[in-house]
Amino acid sequence: MSDRGFDIRRLPGAAPLAITCFVILYIPMAILVFNSFNAGKSIGDWEGLSLQWYAAALQNEAFLNAARTSLILATISALIATVIATLAALSTTRSKTFRGEASINMLLNQPLMVPEIVLAIALLIIVAQIKQATGYAGLGYLILAHSAFCIPFAYMPIRARLEGMDLTLETAAADLYASRFYTFRKVTLPLLAPAILAGFMLAFVISLDDVVISEFLKSPGQDTLPTYLLGELRRNLTSEIYAISSLLLLISVLIVAGSWLLTRRKT
Amino acid sequence: MLDLRNLTKRFGKGDSAFTALHEVSFSIKEGEFFTLLGPSGCGKTTLLRMIAGFEPPSGGALVLDGRDIAQMPPNRRPVNTVFQNYALFPHMTVAENVGFALSAMGRPKAEISETTVRMLDLVQLSHLAHRKSGELSGGQQQRVALARALAPKPRILLLDEPLSALDMKLRKEMQVELKRLQQETRLTFVFVTHDQEEALTMSDRIAVMNGGRIQQIATPRELYDQPANRFVAGFIGETNFLPAHCTKGLLTLPQAAASLPVSYADGPVTLMVRPEHILLGETQASALTLTARVERLVYFGTDTHVHLQAEGELTLIARVQNGMRSGAPYREGETVTISLPSEALRLLPQEVA
Amino acid sequence: MDAEARLQQDDTRRRWALALPAVTIITLFSILPLVLVVVYSFLTPGDFGNVKWQLSFEGWFGVLFERDIFDDTVSFSDAHLTILGRSVALSLATTFITLVLGVPTAWFIATRPARQRAFWLFMITIPFWTNLLVRTIAVQEMIRSEGVFNSLFLWLRVIDAPIQMMFTNFAVLLGMAYVFLPLMVLPVYAAIEKFDFRLAEAAYDLYASRLYCARKVILPIVRPGIIAGSILVFIPSLSAYVTPRIMGGGKSMMLGNLIEMQFGQGRNWPLGAALALTLTALVLVALVWYTRLTSGKRKDV
Repeated sequence: MSDRGFDIRRLPGAAPLAITCFVILYIPMAILVFNSFNAGKSIGDWEGLSLQWYAAALQNEAFLNAARTSLILATISALIATVIATLAALSTTRSKTFRGEASINMLLNQPLMVPEIVLAIALLIIVAQIKQATGYAGLGYLILAHSAFCIPFAYMPIRARLEGMDLTLETAAADLYASRFYTFRKVTLPLLAPAILAGFMLAFVISLDDVVISEFLKSPGQDTLPTYLLGELRRNLTSEIYAISSLLLLISVLIVAGSWLLTRRKT
Repeated sequence: MLDLRNLTKRFGKGDSAFTALHEVSFSIKEGEFFTLLGPSGCGKTTLLRMIAGFEPPSGGALVLDGRDIAQMPPNRRPVNTVFQNYALFPHMTVAENVGFALSAMGRPKAEISETTVRMLDLVQLSHLAHRKSGELSGGQQQRVALARALAPKPRILLLDEPLSALDMKLRKEMQVELKRLQQETRLTFVFVTHDQEEALTMSDRIAVMNGGRIQQIATPRELYDQPANRFVAGFIGETNFLPAHCTKGLLTLPQAAASLPVSYADGPVTLMVRPEHILLGETQASALTLTARVERLVYFGTDTHVHLQAEGELTLIARVQNGMRSGAPYREGETVTISLPSEALRLLPQEVA
Repeated sequence: MDAEARLQQDDTRRRWALALPAVTIITLFSILPLVLVVVYSFLTPGDFGNVKWQLSFEGWFGVLFERDIFDDTVSFSDAHLTILGRSVALSLATTFITLVLGVPTAWFIATRPARQRAFWLFMITIPFWTNLLVRTIAVQEMIRSEGVFNSLFLWLRVIDAPIQMMFTNFAVLLGMAYVFLPLMVLPVYAAIEKFDFRLAEAAYDLYASRLYCARKVILPIVRPGIIAGSILVFIPSLSAYVTPRIMGGGKSMMLGNLIEMQFGQGRNWPLGAALALTLTALVLVALVWYTRLTSGKRKDV
């Protein structure tokens, strides 16, 4: 536009470095996917395109069990976390500060401040005691633990949306004879819905991604996809692992794309 | 029909406490267009929010049709509000917005749709019934907000500066529209504004507020002609204030030769005269006459403002209607004789500034 | 005033009731366990894992020291010091590498036209949301003995035998830099995106030199992002467990792996608890330093 010769936005070297960065980020993932379709055992051993590793995975009972566990765990934990986070967000937004608000906020962010490995051993200690005392070894521990550390993630988008919401809308509803519950159902909830969905997706991904806490808390036969992968890695690096990893990668892409479309449509 | 008795509102506690309303008492009559007028921060919106039920009063009573509703939650008061920013529900259609109150009350579907159609007809928006409220222009949103608040047939309709977001031309149209709606529905309107012109053109009665207190409640004409105090006189229309003195029933102005007989308590007074009542270059039998220099002429189309300077740093503004002849009636720097006719003079108690 | 006070009290009570489920579950599944970790760090290890309820400071003692089995002489624990040093050094190195790559990338994305920007942002969000384990497996594939680099170099005849790159500090560093890179890009991007570039044009318009402009304009723009990004990379690096476990194995352990070991084959839960609290303390120090830095900054402006 002008011949000033220097645009502050064009930082020399930024573009090549950025492209390098994207190449570095995507090449390993591309090779991973590529390997999953390779009939041979590794990149140096190309034996043609094949879906055999996917087929093998789908016939692998242990993998299918892990996938089922992961799905159940992530869905239930994300649901619990989202409901609880929605209630918490309704509690901490849109009012003058109330007594105890600061402590609630600190508590809600607490799981983010503690390293995952520390939380994992902490939970191991307490769950070991409870297991011993009650004899119960079901999925309940994992569900509750996942719900707890997913709450801050589900809380973030819901709180942000509530803070940006026009308070007069609810005042207007009250003015028009709506009870508190009717207002929540017909005004607050529909307006909050995209954020709740975003919070749920975040919590779902966070739960699905978790390795450390699940690894420490699982009882025998409670492998999730990541802990199953970790166990398989310890044994041997098979091409089936590439297929399973690629499937997980696909799930991430789908979820990111989904939330992207969701927020896009809103703005 | 609505009696406000010693309504008081305090915000905060201790040292930071602030009193927004000081024991306000007055009555609003059935079917009148009542306006709360005042500068921002005068307490008019707080008062409106208290009538609506959004703000609990710190003291006093709010009696509607013989019942004290001061502690009643907003969703049980037969009072509806048109909000400044309209507060239309963005996820609902125009029709759903208008039908909201009746749905919330659990009225039968047939009644809801019948009322919705009638209300949209009333505000001439039937063709937009199925649009989302976010797709409407400012003026259209305004009409939806009106229809929505009118649909449940409230005893009182509260309007919180509803025209302030509209541009000048649309605002004038909506003023006429609002008045028409009020006359058609025969509803009681309580209207809040800081715009004195808006208040004068639409209201049956106006309450002028300042500093959390009612200054005067009167018809537009009374407010203009008989302001109760210097604040009301200055807030509504343009005014000249002249310091004067009353002694033994005679009003004397230092700059004028003669005095006028008045019935007013002895002591210093403030003399008020509207610019359009000052006579230039004429003398009258019953008037205060003085000479002044023309400082500046400001042309306004229909009339010209003449800025005058008299003895003792006294500045006055007079308004002269522009006739069909072209050219200014006076020149700047010229000395003229001016008369303040006794029937145009108002005496106000002198206030400490 | 009475009615108002009552309303406010009701409101506070209602708000606490709404927050109660969150407060309960986080207290039970995050706070209480941590309290128990503190208790465990002062107990005696049990014979087969777990603890004996006897007060002991051996757990904390073992974080930095060791006792000779024969003559009870006390010395610094080389193994623990090495791991502690490695954890801090590798985390700092990871932060540095992600800074070098991440800041220009963030700058690049933030200065694209709006449409392209959404695309590039999407491209950075995908690795951000991809499973950490999957990404670690992907980067492992690059450097393992039968992996991409070795296969390529063997094929090019640059080398005769595969180079052992796995299970080294380099492997851990590479893995962490790879998996935490998006954590640097996003906050730096957020900081730059907020900036009004007309300000920079104004500075340039006022005859600011290129270097002056860079120092006085660009640095303040990216500074808050760099601080946030560095903390977001440093903290998970320091507490990393999965990536060093796969890339470093038993040879290049980090603090997270050392902690895990005490609860696995080490069977020294009190020591593991003490180490875990040490790690938490280091993380909190970093967080406090971060809040100091950002809140101090806010006061200036």
